[in-house]
Amino acid sequence: MELLTFFEWLESSMLGQAAKSYGGVYAMFQSAHLFSMALLGGTVLLTDLRLLGVLFRDVPSNVVADNAHKWFKVALAIILGTGVFMVAGVAIKCYHNSFFWYKMTALATGIAFVFAVKRPLLNQDHELLKPWILKSVAIASILVWFTVAATGRWIGFS
Amino acid sequence: MINELLLNFAEWLGSQPSSQNLIGSFYMWNWIESTHVLTLMVFLGMLFVIDLRMLGLTLTNVPATKVNDRLNIPMIIGFAIMITTGFILYYANPVHETQSIWFRFKVVLLVAAGINAWLFHRALKASSGSWDMDALAPKRLRIGAALSLGLWTLVIIMGRLMAYDWFDCDKPQGAFINWAVGCNIQ
Repeated sequence: MELLTFFEWLESSMLGQAAKSYGGVYAMFQSAHLFSMALLGGTVLLTDLRLLGVLFRDVPSNVVADNAHKWFKVALAIILGTGVFMVAGVAIKCYHNSFFWYKMTALATGIAFVFAVKRPLLNQDHELLKPWILKSVAIASILVWFTVAATGRWIGFS
Repeated sequence: MINELLLNFAEWLGSQPSSQNLIGSFYMWNWIESTHVLTLMVFLGMLFVIDLRMLGLTLTNVPATKVNDRLNIPMIIGFAIMITTGFILYYANPVHETQSIWFRFKVVLLVAAGINAWLFHRALKASSGSWDMDALAPKRLRIGAALSLGLWTLVIIMGRLMAYDWFDCDKPQGAFINWAVGCNIQ
């Protein structure tokens, strides 16, 4: 109930009203969201395909992962910023949409996984880590971010 | 003349039973649309990394041509699926898309992005590898990379705007817009 009150407040807030009133601005935020999702997808795939030994096998995986993580953070910041604006315009609808909650759960899992598991692990020298650990991290990462994107897309269909 | 041809073609496509089945199928249409968006992430994700490398903004300690060569394959796989699903989505609703100003802009921008990609790869092949380990690619390639980022950003915006009906044929609008959208064809 308290959560619904928050979503009602969000939709009636200035942010929510702006998102509702300016269709063009909303579309630009959606585009920026999609753009940054592509960037995030690129950085995730770059790192994970390297860890799986599919791409850049002759480049140290530390180098690939460190470079990709910088742009991952940029993409994630834009996704979160634009996402809040997009939700604000249709907050009550989102509250009642199952796929919105699936996406939020997947997103929270993805963020926690990256900053609590993946990065601390990849900050170490990859040569010292067992290959199966690196590969497992890569597969888990691809699965969790695929789920975020797929459930996000399905919000609009349900 | 061109509007009439495009509309006739779209109406013929739209009259095909498989086109009508597709637009009427909730799950099939949604799966194709989702695949289109997800593979856009694969294609553009790889493209962005290549462009950012040329601009000296990532993987500067990896040879630029290596980044381009290695990411080309996943990028092309993503592109192939994205463009195929894009054609299927057009096939599902051809008349509406043909009369969408955003779709028309999107097609023009896609052609421009394609020409830019061709020029970029031609310039990349022609350039000597002496700069390969430099953080910044030669100016011509940097311009190509920046144009690529700009054009694909606009393609995304147009794709997103296609969901909006501001210039649909049932809206009261000027003669120029009607012509640009391909409305009022007798």
